[in-house]
Amino acid sequence: MAAFEYRQAEEIRDVFARREVRFLFIGKSGAIILGYPDTTQDADVFVEKTPANCAAIVEALRELDFGLTPEQAAEIARGKDFVQLRNGPFDLDLVFAPDGIEGFESAWKRRIEIDGFPVCHPEDIVASKTAANRVKDRESLPRLRAFLAYWLERNR
Amino acid sequence: MTSARDSNPPSDQDPATGIIVSPRDLAELREEFDAASRRSLRDRFRYAFIRTHKPVMDDADFRAFASMREYREWCQSALPDWLGYGRI
Repeated sequence: MAAFEYRQAEEIRDVFARREVRFLFIGKSGAIILGYPDTTQDADVFVEKTPANCAAIVEALRELDFGLTPEQAAEIARGKDFVQLRNGPFDLDLVFAPDGIEGFESAWKRRIEIDGFPVCHPEDIVASKTAANRVKDRESLPRLRAFLAYWLERNR
Repeated sequence: MTSARDSNPPSDQDPATGIIVSPRDLAELREEFDAASRRSLRDRFRYAFIRTHKPVMDDADFRAFASMREYREWCQSALPDWLGYGRI
């Protein structure tokens, strides 16, 4: 599979919007949309965990050509906390309950929109990486925190 | 970026990791951020997203975890350490 591309991010944005999916880009992919220069492999989206939103996600993923079986669709519709998709045109992680973030509604209120892409506030991205406390996050956090300070200064 | 053991006087210690970022590191990072801010979003995508195969992680089409705790435990036990998904 090729690397995730801008046009695929546009497809997520447009199809999710059309299906009225409430979501935010999160993690490094979110930070990259905000201007953070780094590398990553897949896109992570924070999605609201409600029955209506989960049903809309399933429809949106099918429209994006993810090959969901009925069982997989049912798992998403039931509302898991984390779903990893490798059965579509690009890799996508659905995060329903990211570490370090109180809930979707508070993150939604603080969201940043860049070219129509809804993105978690960089403070929330840093908070979730800090709470996840993985080896790879530990390595990237000082640089990400420096970006947060830079971003806040430019967006006062 | 320097480690906490480096002899240069610290200017900014990351609260979560204890890693010390020197003034020179910060200046270099600002230059990088400034350069990135001058690129279009489309270009930032082109430079940012790469593709490598992550063993185990990428070997299944679909995985769903009932809780983040379950997911973290799976990462810890199933993935190779060098991928960096284990918790500290």
